[in-house]
Amino acid sequence: MSDIESPESGAHEHHEHHHDVEGPGYATPQAAIEQADREKISYVPSLYVGTDVDAPDFLSVVDVDPDSTTYCEVIDTVEMPNKGDELHHFGWNACSSSCHVEGLERRHLVVPGQRSSRLHIVDTKNRESPEIVDVIEPEEVYEYDLSAPHTVHCIPDGEILVSMLGDKDGDLPGGFLELNDDFEIEGRWDPPGEIGMNYDFWYQPRHNVMVSSEWAAPKTYYPGFDLEDVEKGNYGHEINIWDWTNRTVEQTIDLGEEGLIPLEVRFLHSPEAAHGYVGAALSSNMFHFYEREKEWFAEKVINVEPREHEDWDMPVPGLITDLLVSMDDRYLFFSNWLHGDVRMYDVSDPKNPRLADQLWAGGLFGPRHPTGEDDREVIAGPQMLQLSIDGERLYWTTSLFSTWDNQFYPEEAERGSVMLKADVNPRKGTMTLDEDFLVDFGEMPNGPARAHEIRWPDGDCTSDVWQ
Amino acid sequence: MSDRHRIELRWRGRNGRTGRTEIVRAESDESILDAAERADVGLPFGCRTGACATCTGRLLTGKIEHLRPPRGLKNDSKEDGYVLLCIARAKSDCEIEVGSDVQTDLVTNPWK
Ligand code: FES
Repeated sequence: MSDIESPESGAHEHHEHHHDVEGPGYATPQAAIEQADREKISYVPSLYVGTDVDAPDFLSVVDVDPDSTTYCEVIDTVEMPNKGDELHHFGWNACSSSCHVEGLERRHLVVPGQRSSRLHIVDTKNRESPEIVDVIEPEEVYEYDLSAPHTVHCIPDGEILVSMLGDKDGDLPGGFLELNDDFEIEGRWDPPGEIGMNYDFWYQPRHNVMVSSEWAAPKTYYPGFDLEDVEKGNYGHEINIWDWTNRTVEQTIDLGEEGLIPLEVRFLHSPEAAHGYVGAALSSNMFHFYEREKEWFAEKVINVEPREHEDWDMPVPGLITDLLVSMDDRYLFFSNWLHGDVRMYDVSDPKNPRLADQLWAGGLFGPRHPTGEDDREVIAGPQMLQLSIDGERLYWTTSLFSTWDNQFYPEEAERGSVMLKADVNPRKGTMTLDEDFLVDFGEMPNGPARAHEIRWPDGDCTSDVWQ
Repeated sequence: MSDRHRIELRWRGRNGRTGRTEIVRAESDESILDAAERADVGLPFGCRTGACATCTGRLLTGKIEHLRPPRGLKNDSKEDGYVLLCIARAKSDCEIEVGSDVQTDLVTNPWK
């Protein structure tokens, strides 16, 4: 029997690896790198919404411990109480931003439903077999004239902030919902009217700043992607720079044609850094944003060229759907969901990213069987990324959003997603696909499932912020 | 006139096979999604407010009314008979095409 199945397996010792701080998380990014254990399990939202599988979405517990007999398997699932949620992004109740708060633990996951607007609270006290302990129903959320929850970040002092993409009817604008440490709605965080659209956000307390990005109104992106909506200006192309303490937008930067659909926002981890990146999915450009003399700027630093495909009438954009920065702030990784590649850039000089390595798996141009001809094929391309805290293992899943998946990779509904992994060599700046690693979400009890974001119990490269 | 309507729900067949059919009875004051759920027939859905279009069906015969504006549908989709079953109430007996493939009709791959 593998040790992952035993409750005494040392899972709880993880909490005690930072003796010099009182609360959750790590004192600094460097402390995280030095003190974090290797990831052994991961949590991955898994979906049936929008397919003919008549079952609720669920959270998968995936074994990523190579010494375990259930390596690469889904070892437990937490089924949601309702159908139709479209689980998407999720986050921890606490991170290193609250590492001064005594008694607070990084233990609860806030797992929202993008389509249902329902928020689930999952207790991971037993890491291998978490359970739902609380549910905030959509009607409670609609009372604040908000819907379509997206990014969940813990904010200092144990509160939780959730970006919301729509009003209660799925129209614009969205805003931010604040939860308290008892997982009750505290209220709306932002004064209504500050922003036109919303999507992802990241804050950097020492610079008193938050940066938020834009997708579109839920009613625009929910049914699928339509170029007509782009022409009508229904998709975002701006980022908002907030005064973190005053909760007001100080600056709106229009990224223009080259910045269509700016999705994921990532600051460098160093709390001193006033540098970050935002990926414009449709224009397939990476923007670097930074502060100079109290003013923020955004500049295009990477361009992914569209490519011709024999079955397509128009050149296909890469569609940058996710990006992350390694904990040591040395590398930027991003995925091109349509092309099918993952890229690794050296960002030691944040203004001048230098391509270090690139690998292909699935997508429209990558190999269909990247892990071996006998293994199941990879439909869709690399999408949500997660990196080990030591920067040596990069993992990703392949589903974007149920309706968009159906448009661009219709087979995924019948075959399900996969989770793949690359071994990263940070010294040489290289990535190698691990051909022995494949988690098949096509093999789930109720039918093939889509798999989305990835989180480690002890924090990861997209959760933690330092105060 | 009866308060209940007979709703025939039809899934598309796959791989050359004919799809399944279910008959449910809908009260005149409940949505077709609710009527199906009451009869233990699962249909796809998400927001239940008419915004997300996950519950899209296509009306083949009969009459329905939307209880509120079907925001998730574009005008031409409405004209083509697409309906949102979470906010649709039957006004007569109906035959409705259902299942996740119907929603996929609404927006096709723009690059192909
Ligand atoms: S369930 Fe969202 S429109 Fe009907």
